[in-house]
Amino acid sequence: MSDHIPLGLIGISHKTAPVELREKVALSEEEQKEAVRQIMDQFSPNGCLILSTCNRTEIYLSDNHLGESLEKIRRWLNAFKKCSEYTDTDITYELHDNAAAEHFFKVLAGIDSQIIGEQQIAGQVKESYDLAHALNSTDALINKLFNFAMQAKKRVHHETFLSDGTVSISFAGVELARKIFNDLSSKHVLLIGAGKTAELAAFHFQENGVKSINVVNRTFERAQELAEKFGGKAFRMEQLKEALSESDIVISATSSTEYIVTSELLKPVAKKRSHRPVFFIDLAIPRDIDPAINSINSVFLYNLDDLQEIVKLNLEKRKKEIPKSMKIIQESVDEFLKWARMNSMVTVVGRLKHKLDVLRVNELERLKAKLPQNGYKAEIENLTESIINKVVRQHVKSLKKVAHDPEQYSKQIEMIRNIYDLDNDN
Amino acid sequence: MKVLSQVISYSLPVLYLGVIYVYYLIFTEKNKSLVNKTTPILLFLVICHLIEIVTRNIAIGSVPLSTTHDAYAFIAFSVLVVYMISELRLDNRGAGLFILPFALVLELLSAFYMSWEPETSELLANKTFILHASMSITGYTALSVAAIYSLMYIIQNNNLKKRKLGRLFSQLPALTYMEKMNRRSILTGIILLGIGIMLGHYQMMINGEYMAKDIKVIITDVVWILYIIMYLLAIKNKWSGEKVAYMSLYCFLLIVVGGIVIYFSPSFHKFN
Repeated sequence: MSDHIPLGLIGISHKTAPVELREKVALSEEEQKEAVRQIMDQFSPNGCLILSTCNRTEIYLSDNHLGESLEKIRRWLNAFKKCSEYTDTDITYELHDNAAAEHFFKVLAGIDSQIIGEQQIAGQVKESYDLAHALNSTDALINKLFNFAMQAKKRVHHETFLSDGTVSISFAGVELARKIFNDLSSKHVLLIGAGKTAELAAFHFQENGVKSINVVNRTFERAQELAEKFGGKAFRMEQLKEALSESDIVISATSSTEYIVTSELLKPVAKKRSHRPVFFIDLAIPRDIDPAINSINSVFLYNLDDLQEIVKLNLEKRKKEIPKSMKIIQESVDEFLKWARMNSMVTVVGRLKHKLDVLRVNELERLKAKLPQNGYKAEIENLTESIINKVVRQHVKSLKKVAHDPEQYSKQIEMIRNIYDLDNDN
Repeated sequence: MKVLSQVISYSLPVLYLGVIYVYYLIFTEKNKSLVNKTTPILLFLVICHLIEIVTRNIAIGSVPLSTTHDAYAFIAFSVLVVYMISELRLDNRGAGLFILPFALVLELLSAFYMSWEPETSELLANKTFILHASMSITGYTALSVAAIYSLMYIIQNNNLKKRKLGRLFSQLPALTYMEKMNRRSILTGIILLGIGIMLGHYQMMINGEYMAKDIKVIITDVVWILYIIMYLLAIKNKWSGEKVAYMSLYCFLLIVVGGIVIYFSPSFHKFN
């Protein structure tokens, strides 16, 4: 069922356009500020919010003449960004009313994201909202839209597994390590190889508070350089056995064509370590670590394919959570629409009362000259006021009668607006 | 008091079953919002069980652990409390579906032996004997908990080795935690059971004989000695977590077999 609320959006996202086009229309923070200011000045909508990330640029508008305003804003944005994409209906989308609200809820919850369930988008939406709020471009509708969507996002996060499990290969290693070691803060990490891949993986372990990160590399100087970056020790390749016996987590990513860690090398090391668990992550292709080591007691080996499999499983798990998440989103959108309906009634009734009041005061002014001095002024004022209140109350009553039917309700609100010409009333 | 106690006694297995169902929903990822509600749910069950123990002992005027019902109920209660503490410490609910059914089985056994007649055995008038029984039962509870952690360790170790990264893997706690809990529970069991055994022998010594030719006494002593040997060997030979887990399970199997033998054999200190 369609609900009329004065909310609309135009957008371009990863679903409709490739990155080359998305980056053409993207708005920097400074551009966002300028665009919000100019849209508010030139088109006088009730509110405006711009969201621009690497995956989407969306302009949300709260306005009573949406179709017309959005069309003008599309053209204006083309001029502002010196591009033509904003008016290209093949790569942009335009949503109105409850569809626009539902879209915003989905974006905030991460359902519309390229990586389903990602949490970063909520922070980006909040930044955009704060920016718009600081520029006074958010009206009651946009404020409530943001609040309701934030609550829905929290519910989705607490009640579903939409954001659970890592979907990044480099972080999958950390997730696995947590299933072996309860506490990473006492664990020593060893990097075999000093390239970018090993460094990125080690960075995630550092972020998760491991005790030390040491490096072993063929070029000792490079090992020293990287070890210094992580505040750890550097080892020469000849010292690999010694380095291994001190390590709980080993990340290997060299360009070697032969196995660097073999069963023969590791067996005495495992014994020396009293069979405390060691977790090996082999990120190299061709592989650095002999798969046979996985059969040694308390040794666990995972390679790039295994990590990719974890990411795949987590993504599948997230996808399965979409129907459950959408149910929550739908419930929250309904709540928001209920509020919006109530809000539109309050706004329309307020305007109606104001309009009739102005009419009453003007007519009374005209009548004043014809009335005898000390005539019935107070009585007439009371009478006219009472008539207006009764008329307004009658409208409220009939609106409440159809409040359960959003379509009828919207029609009636529209009818009152048109009859009394409320939108053009100053 | 007796009516209240009876109502709670008969409701407890149902309550345990309800709590296990909650853990099933969490384990199968059917309801994520329940994850944050397990602490009050467990606390409610602990309080209910505690009320049952207290009211029952007041109602029938007996000392705790004096009947088979009370003994099983107390072990179930201990398992529940141990699990609650470990869940609060680790913030992991995966073990719930493994440990709580064990408590439910004990609770069902307890319900099976439900009796409202106070135990009249003269032994139970002796405070040393009551302490001996309490320590022994608590010791067995700790060894049972160790066996559950061992089982979970073996499953998780297998998951990690064979890369079976499904639901069971994601719900079970970290390997090192289960290893730590296993070793700690074994040590606690050895100490408590040891104190229980010593007190039992001390009491017998006072009664005029140091070593009774009683199957219950012999099996308990043998199990205890085996656990000590296993524990010392694990330290001396620096056994891996996996080996300790397997040994703990084998020893627990001995407890189970011993329990069956005791059940069908005559003993001088068997109660209702």
